[in-house]
Amino acid sequence: MEYFLNQLVNGLCQGAIYALMAIGYSVIVGVVGMVTFTYGEIMMIGAFSAYYIFQAFGNNLPLAILAAFTGSFVIGIIVYKLCYEKFFNAPRHISLLCTIGISMLIKNLAQIVFGPETKPVLDIIENRTFTIMLGSVRLDIKLLQIVVILLVIVLAGTLTLFFNKTKWGIALRAVSQNKDAAYLMGINVKRTALIGNCIGSGLGGVAGILLSIYYYSVSATMGGAYSMKAFAASVLGGLVDIRFSALGGLCIGIIENLGIAVSAATFRDVFAFGFLILVLLIRPQGFVSKKGVRV
Amino acid sequence: MKKKRMLAVAALSMTAVLMTACSGGSGSSTGGGSGEASTIKLGGLAPLTGNYAEYGKGFQIGWQMAIDEINAAGGVNGHKLEIEVKDTQGDAVVSSNMATNFAEDESVMAILGDFTSGACKANAEIVDRYGIVQLSPTASAPDYANMSKYCFSIMGRQDGEAPYLARYILDKYLGAKKIAVIRVDSDWGLSCYENFLPTAEELGMEVTVEKYASGEKDFSSLITKMRSVNPDVLVVMDQGDSVAAIFNQADAAGWDIQHVALGPGTSEQLIGQLTTPDNLIVTSPFFFDENDETLTKWSSTFQEQSGFAPTIHPACAYDTVYLIKNAIERIGDGEITRDAIQQALDQSENTGITGALNFTEDGDIVRNYMICGVENGKWVVLEGFDYANE
Amino acid sequence: MEKAKDFYEKHKLIVYLILFAVSLVVPFVIEQALILRYICTIMMYATLAGSLNVINGYSGQTCLGQAGFFCIGAYTCAALTKNFGVSFWIVLPLAGILAALVGLLVSLPTLKLSGIYLSIVTLGASEIIRIIAQTWTPVTGGALGIKQIPYPNLFGLELFRPKYYYFIFLIIGVLFLFITSRVLRSRVGRAWMAIREDQVAAKSLGVETSRCKCTNFMYGAFWAGIIGAAYAPFVNYIESSQFTTDTGFNVLAMVVIGGQGTLLGPIIGSAIVTILTETLRFLENWRYVIYAIIIILMMWVRPQGLLGASDSILAGGKIRRKEKEQGGKKA
Repeated sequence: MEYFLNQLVNGLCQGAIYALMAIGYSVIVGVVGMVTFTYGEIMMIGAFSAYYIFQAFGNNLPLAILAAFTGSFVIGIIVYKLCYEKFFNAPRHISLLCTIGISMLIKNLAQIVFGPETKPVLDIIENRTFTIMLGSVRLDIKLLQIVVILLVIVLAGTLTLFFNKTKWGIALRAVSQNKDAAYLMGINVKRTALIGNCIGSGLGGVAGILLSIYYYSVSATMGGAYSMKAFAASVLGGLVDIRFSALGGLCIGIIENLGIAVSAATFRDVFAFGFLILVLLIRPQGFVSKKGVRV
Repeated sequence: MKKKRMLAVAALSMTAVLMTACSGGSGSSTGGGSGEASTIKLGGLAPLTGNYAEYGKGFQIGWQMAIDEINAAGGVNGHKLEIEVKDTQGDAVVSSNMATNFAEDESVMAILGDFTSGACKANAEIVDRYGIVQLSPTASAPDYANMSKYCFSIMGRQDGEAPYLARYILDKYLGAKKIAVIRVDSDWGLSCYENFLPTAEELGMEVTVEKYASGEKDFSSLITKMRSVNPDVLVVMDQGDSVAAIFNQADAAGWDIQHVALGPGTSEQLIGQLTTPDNLIVTSPFFFDENDETLTKWSSTFQEQSGFAPTIHPACAYDTVYLIKNAIERIGDGEITRDAIQQALDQSENTGITGALNFTEDGDIVRNYMICGVENGKWVVLEGFDYANE
Repeated sequence: MEKAKDFYEKHKLIVYLILFAVSLVVPFVIEQALILRYICTIMMYATLAGSLNVINGYSGQTCLGQAGFFCIGAYTCAALTKNFGVSFWIVLPLAGILAALVGLLVSLPTLKLSGIYLSIVTLGASEIIRIIAQTWTPVTGGALGIKQIPYPNLFGLELFRPKYYYFIFLIIGVLFLFITSRVLRSRVGRAWMAIREDQVAAKSLGVETSRCKCTNFMYGAFWAGIIGAAYAPFVNYIESSQFTTDTGFNVLAMVVIGGQGTLLGPIIGSAIVTILTETLRFLENWRYVIYAIIIILMMWVRPQGLLGASDSILAGGKIRRKEKEQGGKKA
């Protein structure tokens, strides 16, 4: 029991990071209406921006988060210009291949510029563990895990407010629900899509810095595996709704860790993708109750 | 439109044909005479990109350093040495392709590399069929060198190092009884564990093992799993970045346990990646002793050229070139052929910067080990080579 | 160029005979085994890309998981020939059938799905197949892979040199082209293309879309499985890391560069990508940068691929027309 509760905490924390990645991902996919494979590299750029801030200014987490957001935001503009702007009405595989190309481009340029080796990111958050006793059950929670979960909650909350209360946010939602209708309502669809794509990328950058802190390292090739998880999590959530995407991320995190708890670590991705396919079989639109936007 | 398309196709197929022709041409021009040539060409296989890129770069620099030294001192028997390094991406299939490439090129006299045991084993069949030496600086799987008489390695075998770890570090030095092993799921990791387990069991240890896929980042669930067993020592068997990741995540979980690693050796990068490096003990056949002048000089030259501190791996790569040089010297006035190098290499008794290098019948070497730890951010020897004999 | 086409139409037989003669002579003229190996690799990827083209190019589904079917073929061959000594020639069709069955399984959930959902399911399935290969140690060798896979044996002759392998890939490639061109001209093939151009219209005209999609996936997977089985002894050593999603993307890039929905496109794409990545090897990471730039440029300049028709839906032609009609929508 104690063992499973502790594994649940691990799963929750990893799920929280997945959730943040998935939120950023579904903002992009929702607004742009096309799938992206550059997301892993966007996270990597965010993590590296933060890494160099740590190098230059010491452990300044707020500044690093700002840098990660900005770095990925800028990459978001480039990705938008190269992969989406021209191809809104073209067949889907064109922009899909463009994003694969960009992903390859950024990953290899990063290896050349930043070097191939893994760089340590140590002691950003103090190494402390809180022990909670629930009756006879002992739960160990790391400070790091608390910070990660809090950060994810704060960001998700801010984003929800932004989407529901601000003019830009409402425009973004309108575009992600129906581009033609949004256009008829006088919304500048392309500019809104650009902004949405960049905000999603920025969130990816923040997810990247969390990954680097949580795993104590950054490297040019770190993005690939996570980009798949972000993709899977947001598909689970129905691709365009950020709350459900976050839920999808959490689910994948928990399922993976509980799965590993009863079997072996080598099966991690089997649980993640198996769960995804199972859900899609039963509910082709993911968790979303109504039929989501056709993407 | 149609015309344009056809033109494009035609242009492309032309370039394709030209490219094939060019590469064909260069292949045949270098395939000329070998015996009387004044330069002896070696083929180098190294993962210059991919997961093991830093080791590959280390290989490249280590080889080049040795060759520059030898050529500056007048070469071997009047011959100059030269090496062509090909990127194998840490991928066994690419490595096989590149090995075939070298084996087909008659001017290449011997192959140095590759980095991983898996790639070396995949090439064994090829080098055996073509009859060319594959001398790996780092392959440590016990079943590699005996695959062919053309296969050599100087890393020392897992059936030496893993039992040493069990007998001398865990039992004698730490007095541990309950061991948790986390290992990478690969040729190398399996071979480590299979060689470790019998000795550990013989010493009455209780071993729990978990494996993970190479490239795994999150070990928190594995650590929780291991922690529930409540072991005395946490042993990690891997060479790459995961070693640091596992120990750091164990620290972050507030788990106070002795860390032991099999694989990374006395790697400087590792110290920089760890949150609590002082807690780590490793086995190592080799140590950059600050009092040893040749070694410090070598190490600083290496660092100058590469920008990072050397591990044992580039040092072994450096030694492999000297092994070839010694073999060629032993051939003397005889014709230098691939087979002659194989025979001369087989008989060699050598000493390199990494210690004595005498091949066993299989074509690998038996190394002695010592116990190293970290003090104040620097590697120190905790127990020397004599510890095993005491 | 038009003349060349006319010539081809008039003297089909002669063209085929010349091609046949040239392909027979190649392995005896080219002496470097390495170059033959590259030619073999090109032919192998050409067939693999062709099999993906059947799914992506002809029925317009976006399958990202071709590496998975390829993986099944390779492991079937390696496990059966190595552990049970089954002859390569028996394994070859078996591997194809097994891959086709898995293709059927994968296609079942995709019947309900389209677009991104279909892509992610095929991608996920490909990853699951790879992970099964990586973890099912008794059969697949787990992370250690399968080494020293026996070479095919023809009447006592061990076919290990690239010279012999050339003919295996050639025969498979030619068979694939021949059968596929027949299938495409049949009722089934026309139904696939109808689905690609407009699924709703196809359905209303009586095309059983779900059954057609299933057969389409199975047919594509079948050839991927066969070429996988031929690949295993060719490289002599397989492990799960050879079948990652990157392999799938690479094959997809070949199809798209060459031209989706054309029989020759994948061959051209395979040749370009293989020659490019091999000749630029000395550039290390820069060659992937160049490769990536080519992919992006291609999508900007000729999204339908080198050989693709500019008026197909794959080139965005139809939609561009629509855009023109709407006029000035470019905000």
